[in-house]
Formats: sequence, structure tokens, C-alpha cells
Amino acid sequence: MDVAPLKILIADDNQSDRMILAAIVKKMGHETCAAGDGLEAIEQFKQHSPDIILLDVMMPNMDGQEAAVEIKKLAGEDMVPIIFLTSLQDASDLAACLDSGGDDFLSKPYSPVILQAKINAFSRMRRMNNTLQHQRNLIRENNEHMVHEQEVARAVYDNVAHSGCLNLPNLRHLLSPFSVFNGDVLLAARKPSGSLHLLLGDFTGHGLPAAIGAMPLAEIFYGMTAKGFAMAEILREINIKLKNILPVGYFCCACMVTLSFERKQIEVWMGGLPEYYLYRQDTKAIEKVVSTHLPLGVLSRDAFDATTEKFALNNGDKLYMWSDGIIEARNDEGDLFGEERLLDIFTKNTKPDELFDEIVSIVNDFSGESGKDDDTTVLEVTMVDEDEVGKVDIDLSSGAVTGPTDWCMTYTLRCDTLKTFNPLPVMLSILNDVPALRILSGQLYTLMAELFSNAFEHGVLGLSSGMKNSADGFAEYYKQRTIAMSEMIDGYVSFQFDLKPLENGGGQLLITVEDSGEGFDYKAREDKQFQAGGYSGRGIPLIRTISDSIEYHGKGNIVKVALSWEGLGAD
Amino acid sequence: MSHLDTAQLTELKDIMEDAFGDLVSTYLDDSTEKLSALDSAVTAQDAKEVASLAHSLKGSSSNICASGLAEKFKVLEDMGRAGDVTEAAAALEDAKAAYADVEQELKSL
Repeated sequence: MDVAPLKILIADDNQSDRMILAAIVKKMGHETCAAGDGLEAIEQFKQHSPDIILLDVMMPNMDGQEAAVEIKKLAGEDMVPIIFLTSLQDASDLAACLDSGGDDFLSKPYSPVILQAKINAFSRMRRMNNTLQHQRNLIRENNEHMVHEQEVARAVYDNVAHSGCLNLPNLRHLLSPFSVFNGDVLLAARKPSGSLHLLLGDFTGHGLPAAIGAMPLAEIFYGMTAKGFAMAEILREINIKLKNILPVGYFCCACMVTLSFERKQIEVWMGGLPEYYLYRQDTKAIEKVVSTHLPLGVLSRDAFDATTEKFALNNGDKLYMWSDGIIEARNDEGDLFGEERLLDIFTKNTKPDELFDEIVSIVNDFSGESGKDDDTTVLEVTMVDEDEVGKVDIDLSSGAVTGPTDWCMTYTLRCDTLKTFNPLPVMLSILNDVPALRILSGQLYTLMAELFSNAFEHGVLGLSSGMKNSADGFAEYYKQRTIAMSEMIDGYVSFQFDLKPLENGGGQLLITVEDSGEGFDYKAREDKQFQAGGYSGRGIPLIRTISDSIEYHGKGNIVKVALSWEGLGAD
Repeated sequence: MSHLDTAQLTELKDIMEDAFGDLVSTYLDDSTEKLSALDSAVTAQDAKEVASLAHSLKGSSSNICASGLAEKFKVLEDMGRAGDVTEAAAALEDAKAAYADVEQELKSL
């Protein structure tokens, strides 16, 4: 087998021996350079970088072994085979030669056949070594590249994740700094109505595949929550999105919670996560909240079940949520933290305010040196009054700078649509296109929600508003609502929006809502005094505080609400 | 009787081609010098120097197809390594005689 021409260094203190070697090597097609002692050999190596070295053992000034040591040092990571030329025969002498860095021997008299075979063999080894080094360098480069990409991915993800409100006063959380790459997600956002949406997600796997799923999930969660969509709709969208984009076998165990400060209630959907604990402040009792669904991203649109569980909460009651990382945390001996230890923390606790800190410190102590909290995600949610968390902040940064200022539109929803479709998000979205209305977004949402509720429930379905007087009444009311909706055969609700600019630079919005119901005796109402507060009424006191005027027409089944505002830039 | 290995010699001529003559004269010049130095070393009873020179001559002789001659130098090398060159003079004479034969045969090629 022929090899590509090599550069071979011949170091022998005997001139005639050098001549013979040079002749053999040149006949093979290789190039040569020569040295007469160890020092010259090192010089030649530095200057010509030979591929293979033929090195006599016994030479004056510096012998072969010393030279070999020096040359191997100079070669570093590169493989430069050294074949000792020797007529030494003592085994320990020969061994000493190999120890000093030699790779083989060639004894005198030189056999051309043997020398050629050895040169070829070492040439193959050199090539293999070069290939390995090259591949190792590639791997190292790719690895650095990947780490860098992950850092960028993380920065992008942080921007998406951190537009949430996990820093609300009634929330406490522990989210490991490596959470992006352990697949855990924790999101919080307020709806325009003031309610709080929470989502804790645990994606299959680690690293980028887990992080990538979190991006569309976060976008959908924040986008739809801001527009006022209900939990069920958001879950459906997230589920089908993940099912479409994640590979088979990848999914997201999740828990979503809607917390209503006004109604003192939480609504919970859980899929694939370990049980959660609901702590009652007055009785110190612990209720378990379990997963009743499959994780997100598994089922098709039709098969997905968005059924939720509702819990009434008093102020001070707390819900604890986590990913399974907390249960699977291991200590130095390899034991699992486990569900029993977790429950133990709750039953042994005496100061509810310190419960969250206790969980964090006990888990940390348990994990010790190994892994610490790199897989632990915990959230404590406390029920409070809305005053404590404040009103909803409207984000003016979303949406166009200029928008339509002079237009009119009518949107009529008929029977079947009324049963299944919530029109508020899409209508609010249209109104949000008008920059001035974006500032009023929260009030607009409340206004529209009330008008729609009145028109649909009291108008079309004919439900009495008086029932919403008490907590029990609410439950009965919603029961009747469900029945009435299923029995509906016709009816409509129609929204008309009329937007006009005003001379002072501001604008006016006229909303007209008409329903197919019987209406009510509005003339009689206007004569009465309204009670401030209370559950009942057609929300009319509420609408009065937001709008400029409110008028009833027809049978009372048509209501006109007018809002106006000053020109922007007056700030 | 030939003091050179015929088969090895053929192979060597084949390797060296036209440079064979140069090789022979290089060997002869080099060996003459080294023998003279070896002589001085034996006289001076310098065991180390004897070993070193004998080793070198042994090597080059084996390469020039004179294995018998190489053996003679090995004897001197062993003495030098052992540190005792008191009997080296006789071995040296033996080697010189063998060298003279080889030199003659090489010159006649």
C-alpha cells in the first residue's frame, strides 16, 4: 500500500548509515532531512516539522533518548512517530527507549522491507490521529456554539416569560435559575376584568426541546388573557398548539388557575401533575387538589376536556402548586424527597405565614450538595381583596400608534352562536385598535361584559336579576342559566359601535346593545333610588360611573351608552 | 572465502544504485578514522570511549554487509560496557585484521 509522500528525519551519527537510510526512504517516494546528533535532530525537527523520525540511540552531544523526550514535548498534541535505530539487544535497554517516547525499533542491519512496512503503519496511525483531533475540535466548536445558542434562547425566553406579574403581593414563588432548561414554566397575568390567571407547566425532557414549547405557550397565555378570554378557551388553544408542534412523546403537564378576587373563588384545571394542597386558614385543614386530565399537547381538539373544578376561598386561604421536581429531588444518598415528606411539612407547620419559607428551606436542606433546587418550582397563591393587588395595568405598548377614528359597525349574534361563543374578546380587540380607547380598556371590558350579560341572560334567556343577591343565589342563578341556554331555540344580541372624532381632538363612542328579549320597565326603575354595592341589578350603577350617559329605548331591550374622551397628547 | 554477505550486498547495491560507490568510500574513510581513535582509546584504557566507538563501528559494519566484522567490534563493545578493557588490545588486533579483509573486498567491487 502506497502512502502519500512524507517528510522523514534521519538522525544517525554514522554517515554511511545515514546514506543507506536516505536511499531506502527516498526510493519509497519520501523526502528526507538529516542530523548527526541529538541537538541537530531537535533543530531539524523545529525547522522542518517532519512526519516521522528515525533516531539513532547512541549519538554524541545528546543521545537519542534525550532528543526523543524533547521532540515529543515540542510535538505536543500532534503524533510524530519516533523509530529508534539501534543494535542494542538488552530487553531493559530497549524498554527504556520506549519509555523515553520512542514508538518502535529498527535494528541494524537495516532491512528495507521492514522499514517500509513500519513507515506505512505509522503513517496510517498519524492520519487516524489527525482525524481524531480534527473531529474533537469540531465537537468542541459545536458544543460551544450550542451553549451560546442556548444562552440566546434563554434571553429571548426571559423576555416573554417576565412580562407576567409573578411579583403580585399575594403570590410567592420559587423558580430555579435553570428553569428554562428543566422544562418548568410559571406564568401569571391579570385579565381586563381584574381576575388573575396562573399557569404552572412542566414540559417533557430538558434542554432546548422543553424550552421551545414554552414560547408559544407563553404567547398564547399572555395574549389571550389580556384580551379577556376565559380559561377553557386558553387551555384549548394551548393544547392544540402544543399537539401540533411538539414531537410524539413530548407534552406539557400543567395546572391552570383562574382566581377571582371579587367572587372569592378559584377555578382549577390540572393535567399530569402531582396533587396540590389547599390550605384553609380558619380550620388549618388541608384539602387535596388532584389532576383529572391528561397533560397538554396529547389530545386532539375534539377529545380535549377543559372541565374545571371550582373552590370557594376566603381571604387568607392558600393554594400550593409545584412541578414534580420537588417530589423527585434527591439527597446525597439518592433517596427521593417524596410526597410523604412534603405532606409532613404541612401537617407540622404552626405558622402559616412561614409555610412557604419552610418548604423552600426543607427541600434545600434535603438536596444538600447534589443538584440543589435545579428542578424545583413552587408557587403559593393567597386569596386576598383586589385592593391589595391593585387594579389591572393596561399595556399601551401593544397595538398600533394610529388607528381608525371615524367608523360604525354592527355585530349581531344569533341563537347557536350565543350558546357557544364568547364575543367579548373579538369586540374588545376591535375597540383596542383605537389608541384612545386602549387607555379605557379595563373600563370598556367591564362595560361590555355587563351589557352583554344583561342582554343575553336577562334579555334573551329571561333570567331574573334579583337572584344574584347572595352566594347561594349565585349558584342557583348559574344553574338556571345552563338550563336556559340548552333550551334556547331562537334569539339574538346585537352590538352597534359608532365612533366619531370630536372638535376638541378627542372622540366619542356610542354603544347600542339590542336583545330579542321582553325588555323591562325602565321608566319605573329610573324613579327608584339604587343601592350602592350589592350583587343584583343590571349592573346599571356600574355602567353609570364609567359612561357619560345611558339611555333605554324600545321595550327596554335597547340600551345606548355614550363615552367620550379628550384628545391624547394633553398629558 | 567472502567476508561479505552476498544476498545482503545485492540488495544494498539495488538500494544505492549509482551511489553505491560513494557509500563504500564513505564507509571506508569513516571507519579508518574511527579505528584510529579506537586504537588510542584502548591504549588509554578508556572503557567508555572504547564502548562508544566499537558500538558505532559494529553498526556501520553490519550495514555494509560485513556481519563477521561487526561481531569482532561487539566483543570490544562488551568489554567497554563491562568497564574492563585490560584484555582489549588482543581483541583490537583481531578486529583490525578482519577489517583489512573487508576493506580489500569492498575496494575490489
